[in-house]
Amino acid sequence: MELTQLLQPLAASPQTIAALVVLLLPLFGFLVLLPFGRLLPRHGDWLGIALTAGAFILSGWLFTETWNVTTFHSRTTWFSMPGSSLTDFTLGILLDNLTVLMLVIVTFISLLVQLFSVGYMHADKGYSRYFAFLGLFTFSMLGIVLVDNLLLLFMFWELVGLSSYLLIGFWFHKPAAVAANKKAFLFNRVGDIGLLLGLFAFYTYYRTFDLETLRTLVGSGTWESGSFIVTYTLKGQPWLVEIGPTFLTLAGLGLFMGCVGKSAQFPLQVWLPDAMQGPTPVSALIHAATMVAAGVYLVARCYAFFTPDALVVIALVGALTALVGALVALTQNDIKAVLAFSTISQLGYMVMGMGTGAHDAALFHLATHAFFKAALFLNSGIIIHAMHRGLHHHHLHLNAQDIRNMGGLRKALPLTFYTYVVATAALVGLPLFSGFLSKDAILSGSWAWAQTMGGGAYFTVPLIGFTVVLLTAFYMARHMWFIFFGEFRAPFSVQDLRLKASQEVERVMLWPVVVLAILSLGIFFSLNPLSFSSSWLLQGIALEKLGGTAILSGRLLDAVKLQDEANHTLHLVFGILSTLLGVAGISWAILKYRNRPEAQLLHEGPQHAAGRLSQRHFYLNEFYAKAFVQPALVLARTLYRNDKRVIDYALNNGSKALVIIAKIMAWFDRWVVDGLVWLVGVLSKLAGRLGQGLQNGKVQSYYAYSLFGFILLMLYIILF
Amino acid sequence: MNDFILSSLIFTPLLAALLVLLLPVRLQHTIKAVALAGTVVQMGLAILLYFGFDGTVLANGQQGYQFVEKLNWIGFTLGSLGRFQIDYFLGVDGISISMVLLTGIVGVIGVISSWTITKNVKGYFLLYLLLLTSVMGCFLALDFFLFYLFFEFMLLPMYFLIGIWGGPKREYAAIKFFIYTLVGSLFILLVMIGLYTSVIDPQATAVQMGFAEQGAEAGKAVVTQVQQMLQRNAISSYNLVRTFSIPAMMEPANFIPNSLLHVLSGSVLWDLPLRFIAFLLLFAGFAIKVPSVPVHTWLPDAHVEAPTPISVLLAAILLKVGGYGLIRIVYPIFPDAGAYFAVLVGGLGVLSIIYGALNALAMSDLKKLIAYSSVSHMGFVLLGLASLTVEGVNGAVYMMFSHGIISAMLFLVVGVIYDRAHDRMIQNFRGLAHMMPVYTVFVVIAFFASLGLPGFSGFIAELLVLVGGFGAPEATGLLPRWLTVVAVFGLLLAAAYYLWALQRMFFGKYWIFPELREKATLTDLTTREYLMLVPLALLALLFGIFPHLLLDKIGLTVTGFTELVLQRGQEQLGLILSTLR
Repeated sequence: MELTQLLQPLAASPQTIAALVVLLLPLFGFLVLLPFGRLLPRHGDWLGIALTAGAFILSGWLFTETWNVTTFHSRTTWFSMPGSSLTDFTLGILLDNLTVLMLVIVTFISLLVQLFSVGYMHADKGYSRYFAFLGLFTFSMLGIVLVDNLLLLFMFWELVGLSSYLLIGFWFHKPAAVAANKKAFLFNRVGDIGLLLGLFAFYTYYRTFDLETLRTLVGSGTWESGSFIVTYTLKGQPWLVEIGPTFLTLAGLGLFMGCVGKSAQFPLQVWLPDAMQGPTPVSALIHAATMVAAGVYLVARCYAFFTPDALVVIALVGALTALVGALVALTQNDIKAVLAFSTISQLGYMVMGMGTGAHDAALFHLATHAFFKAALFLNSGIIIHAMHRGLHHHHLHLNAQDIRNMGGLRKALPLTFYTYVVATAALVGLPLFSGFLSKDAILSGSWAWAQTMGGGAYFTVPLIGFTVVLLTAFYMARHMWFIFFGEFRAPFSVQDLRLKASQEVERVMLWPVVVLAILSLGIFFSLNPLSFSSSWLLQGIALEKLGGTAILSGRLLDAVKLQDEANHTLHLVFGILSTLLGVAGISWAILKYRNRPEAQLLHEGPQHAAGRLSQRHFYLNEFYAKAFVQPALVLARTLYRNDKRVIDYALNNGSKALVIIAKIMAWFDRWVVDGLVWLVGVLSKLAGRLGQGLQNGKVQSYYAYSLFGFILLMLYIILF
Repeated sequence: MNDFILSSLIFTPLLAALLVLLLPVRLQHTIKAVALAGTVVQMGLAILLYFGFDGTVLANGQQGYQFVEKLNWIGFTLGSLGRFQIDYFLGVDGISISMVLLTGIVGVIGVISSWTITKNVKGYFLLYLLLLTSVMGCFLALDFFLFYLFFEFMLLPMYFLIGIWGGPKREYAAIKFFIYTLVGSLFILLVMIGLYTSVIDPQATAVQMGFAEQGAEAGKAVVTQVQQMLQRNAISSYNLVRTFSIPAMMEPANFIPNSLLHVLSGSVLWDLPLRFIAFLLLFAGFAIKVPSVPVHTWLPDAHVEAPTPISVLLAAILLKVGGYGLIRIVYPIFPDAGAYFAVLVGGLGVLSIIYGALNALAMSDLKKLIAYSSVSHMGFVLLGLASLTVEGVNGAVYMMFSHGIISAMLFLVVGVIYDRAHDRMIQNFRGLAHMMPVYTVFVVIAFFASLGLPGFSGFIAELLVLVGGFGAPEATGLLPRWLTVVAVFGLLLAAAYYLWALQRMFFGKYWIFPELREKATLTDLTTREYLMLVPLALLALLFGIFPHLLLDKIGLTVTGFTELVLQRGQEQLGLILSTLR
């Protein structure tokens, strides 16, 4: 294969140009709204919404053009450096089933969130800045899904990090918000370091970042005596690449590190709960539905590059994350914290699905999760908004986000309650709801994977998966119980939470939630809402539809697939089992809290060590502060002291020593060298004085001196 | 025009300086206008040169220079010692073109930033323009003597600019800067003299031997003949023409047999071949200028004391002379030692990246933080260069350009708050975003550009350096992979110190140290400040999104450079090591 041939420019098509327009519309919004938004009527919210709506409509058209029809790919040279070992750096847009699915999801949820924000952010000082930032985010997120190469993906990846930073710290007067956005960016950077190193590893051997070319190259590789061999030609020169299995696994795990950071996987997940400091619609869009799912998308895009060993690590990380997230969610009291940890847990599910070969199931869960989690977050926004209104009205300074201060809200906010119930049912995975389909797909996939891998310890992964179903059901039921059931625990009438006596909440906030809740029903994803295998979505994102047939773990995945098909009857068992676990979790929570008096619920807190461990997120934040942050700062100060007290000290004292030596030299010069000269002068002066006396002009004296001298001379000759 | 464009680039500021000299002291506005006009013309010429420069000409440091100007400057014959020749020799290739463009742009920005100078305006702009002349001279000279002249001359205006217009500890900082750099240039001088005794100009020697009428007529065949005769000791010492020409020094065939620095001379000092010692001396000289850890401590002091525009010049272009010297002089003349000491150079680069970044994390003075971030970023130049991969060296040059743009922006941004509050300690401010929102936007842009956000030029530079360094074990075998892996953590640290500074100084509730409250008037950006920050931000974006604008100009030169240095390096290293056995 000639590499330059594989990287040839591909002409633009109307579809890819449309995709480019979809990408640039939100950017345009950002560029207009940030400097000029305040000057526009309504501070320009309509512009942001209109642009996103345009992007959504175009995305819909692209969906119909692409989904299960064909793929579109346009590519052009970005920049190049001459050299026999280099290829051109390319830019391109790739439209396939996965891309258009993501396009529709991102633009749709972004649109709903912006509509919701019109009500939620109403009269905020930074209203136009908010819509500008959302535009920047939408642009970056669309970039991630549209581009055809890993370098560009990384660039948009970082831009998503920037927009997340800006939006978490949107209320920059809140110290907690600016601490949280720094933390989010830094934890993401830790993951990005791994991602970058992974990119370098692939580039070093395959000389390009282009995804399709990389897939072709990896697909053409063979295993010979323990190393992976790929041959190709580059500008006519033959290249033979020989990579050891460890390096290959590490390179894949490098890429996966990016996912660990962005998708809040263990052990980097600690930034996500803090990110809830941002406005709630932002949490819905970025930290639940889209951005955090980008990591899963990345793993899907790079699926060809993971070795079976790398997949084991991915599966374990995913399972661990799912478990940790669920365990911590059990004891949280902040309405958004519960949802945040639940997001971590669900992202863990997706990653676990990726690791266990259920590539399509993981993406399916990404899609369903985007809707029901966005619904939950927007709903919580409504509740927080209402709580603020009530507390403000009664001049109370209670925490508006603490579920212990709520209770009985279903009487005042019935529509919110019903939509919350639907979305929660989807999250718990009850039959007929979307989550049931995608979660069961992941569970049965992981079971088949464990069987294929040889059972034993590998069954931990699916077992954790089932445990998490139970935990999820429990914490969501507890969550709902605290919010909607019992008596209202803040000291005023629950009806004061309503916007007006006749209206529960602003319409512009209600409708997005209703739409999202409806889309949490299973029927939209599979005509038979009890069986995931007939889902149109799942079939559309199957690996073979995404150009990924020749992949590193191909043999393993084929075996998993066969095993999964053989497990046909087990699927039914899993469906029933997970439903039972869900029901059990819900019942457990209801039984636990049903008879608690309101006063006790108001002061609910962990009773024992395990509970505290859960509530404090296993003290991970404290651990990172002690293990990394403080040592780094101490090291930094020590090094600065080194600059001052060692390098500069040596320099300053060295120069002082030089000055002292110079002083000594000057003294020597003054007293010794100059002194000698002076001595000579003085001596000759003395001699002169003496001679002066002799020269008195009398011939007799001269004669006497001469005689005296002659005698001395004689004496010298005779004696010596 | 094309024949003298390089000289015009160098001497336009000098001409302006002469005009300034003639103007009476009280005409302050005229003086400023003249300085502005001088730098604007220089920038115009630099942009003309950029567009006129043909990026498709093969160049490798030894040949392929464009817009060449070469005149006999000083020449004398010393009987049996042969003829001594110093040329006025200028030319540009892909590496210098980027530096020339950068100098042109930053020169103008610096004048705009100097507009508020009130103390001895005439003297200030006189020195400022002299500085620009000498920096431009450095980037264009192809004769080592001429280069050294400009290189040394840079010290004088810089010393006074810091020493007179600087902050409270300006004398200490100025003398520290002066002595540090002077020590470095002594090392360079030593090697320069050593090279001068060892290298001949084959063309001029051909003329001396009567093979050609004029140097330019001596074709390739004649040159080769002279070189072969030289290596056979067949040329009478009366006819040897010694030269400072840098391209001539790159050709091992131009070295006089048994001279000190000839590859096969076998001369050894402290168990090291003399060529290695020469490399180390030159490297030390330029590493001080870069600056690399552990010879960097002059930089924070100089920056802290220097007035804003001088900090801008110092960070944006003076530091680049160090990196440029390594690429133009050290590596091509001593490629053998470059290959031999790759781990040392790359290791110092990585050390600078991490050490500088950690130091920046510990700073409470915003300007010092940025000074240390310069140390960190210039470490990437060393790493990219040491890898000797095409990506790495392109990245090193790109980093020098990009750091020039971004560090100028950073120091200007610090100047803004210092102008208003006469203080820039991070802990003395909080929530500045409330008072100065637009300013904060530019701070965020500058910080994110510097921490390598994609879309800004710094990202391309860091990417190329790191990808080159990572691939070095396969491509050139010069650097171990762990070095680059460690360097990548510099990106994390950069994000840490910038975001922490943002958090502490610009976000949160507004608060300012009580003693500052009376003096400080925290107004947002003025038109003059927009005029500096907006173009720089746009340039950082432009070169971040369209890297080909620069890479198309520098690419072929860098490829030629790496091929020449790598190939020669391996050959000559083998020869040198064989003479030792």
